[in-house]
Amino acid sequence: MDGAKAALVLFVAALLQLSVLTEYTQFRTASIVLVALLSIALLRGSVFGAIAGFGTGLLLDVATLGTLGVTSLLLTVFGFWIGRYGETTARDRFHAPFLSVAVVTVLYAFGLVALQFVLGQPAPAGVVAHSLPLALLLNLVLTVPVYALIRRLFPPLELGDRVREVRLLG
Amino acid sequence: MPRNRTVRLAVLGSSVQRAASQGYPSSRSSALKRRIVVGGLVLLSLVLITVSFRSTALDGAQGTGAAILQPFEVAADRVTRPFRDAVGWTRGLIDAKSENERLRAQNANLRQQLIIDESALQENVQLRDQLHYRGPPSVQDFAKVHAVVNTNPQNADESVTIGAGIDDGVRAGSVVVAPRGGLVGVVDRAFAHVARVTLLTDSQSAVTAVDLTSPTAVGIIQPGGGGSNVLVLDLVAQSKVVDVGDTIITAGTLPQGKLPSIFPRGIQIGTVKSAKNNDVNPYKNIQVKPFVDFSSLQSVIVLVPKK
Repeated sequence: MDGAKAALVLFVAALLQLSVLTEYTQFRTASIVLVALLSIALLRGSVFGAIAGFGTGLLLDVATLGTLGVTSLLLTVFGFWIGRYGETTARDRFHAPFLSVAVVTVLYAFGLVALQFVLGQPAPAGVVAHSLPLALLLNLVLTVPVYALIRRLFPPLELGDRVREVRLLG
Repeated sequence: MPRNRTVRLAVLGSSVQRAASQGYPSSRSSALKRRIVVGGLVLLSLVLITVSFRSTALDGAQGTGAAILQPFEVAADRVTRPFRDAVGWTRGLIDAKSENERLRAQNANLRQQLIIDESALQENVQLRDQLHYRGPPSVQDFAKVHAVVNTNPQNADESVTIGAGIDDGVRAGSVVVAPRGGLVGVVDRAFAHVARVTLLTDSQSAVTAVDLTSPTAVGIIQPGGGGSNVLVLDLVAQSKVVDVGDTIITAGTLPQGKLPSIFPRGIQIGTVKSAKNNDVNPYKNIQVKPFVDFSSLQSVIVLVPKK
């Protein structure tokens, strides 16, 4: 059930991103898909985040007719990483969604440029750096409503359902 | 004296390894499962990148996937259209009065220009007939395929996808223009029913262009950089006369050029926004404002060979 819900949420977010939001220049680098994915990963864990990231990345690559696998690779890694953060130190922390979105926005932008550079495609790092502050601000603003909505759709798991690997030493 | 560790229990878990409770996986198997899943997905992504980049094996599947998504993109566009129109209407209200005055003045100038152009066109046709002149390809030599824009540019990627493909006569290298005129870009990849268009604002884009009112001022139109929509007309010698407000069009295949241009002559690109000479640069510094608003393309026309 969570899988179907996540698929639907991310599909709608991708449609909004590709067909609607990017019509406005300010939203060219902001990403509601990224915010939605990170929110889901925070609430459902690393494996869920990785699979959702892979599927979402593949959807974006197919829709934009770009090189398949580029966005999937980045979103898989970030979905896993933030999901892991959500399983451990981010539990019930108010700043967790904002910190996750802020860090991943920056890393995703430069990660994409790095991958394009490796593939021999145009990699305008200057353009990305120039637009990054606005993208960061917009993503953080989007985090408030998107995370609230996702949290209603995906209620946080009970303590017993989460992975318990925190060990005390000594 | 050894510390009594049995009393100290972690809030979140015990430091002693024990068998998993019923219904919950042990920590070791959870970690292994995570690593397998993520490793597998990363590996699959790398395989997809390799196959997609090096061959066309996945192009059919990708084209089919994009074609399947197209109706959803169109539906999303239609559902949100009223809201976007409301935003646009509100914005328009703010600029309405000044825009109205500007357009009235422009309209009056264009009416006068139209009369002059009609006379020149008639004279051109007569001279062509008399001299049996066959010039380079122009827009009239191509058929037009109308296509809806499915996705807009995002991130630093200056490309859009359109709902027309090989089955409609679109090929890689086909020129794309806006319905009201204005060069948009070139088809980069074509599939059966969809295609990707690289916009004129892409960093790799370069088009031979000429000043309509100063035909010797030939240069290369390139993006201005910095993510803006301003274009730069480069390689125009300082001795050439280029004025603010001049119209820049595609030059087509130049007589002295060794290679034919993919762009037919006469497609509008934009108007000169500023033209300055520089002591350091042997060429003029010309900025061009494009006719096309690349951030809000809804439909385009692809020029394809006539059958």
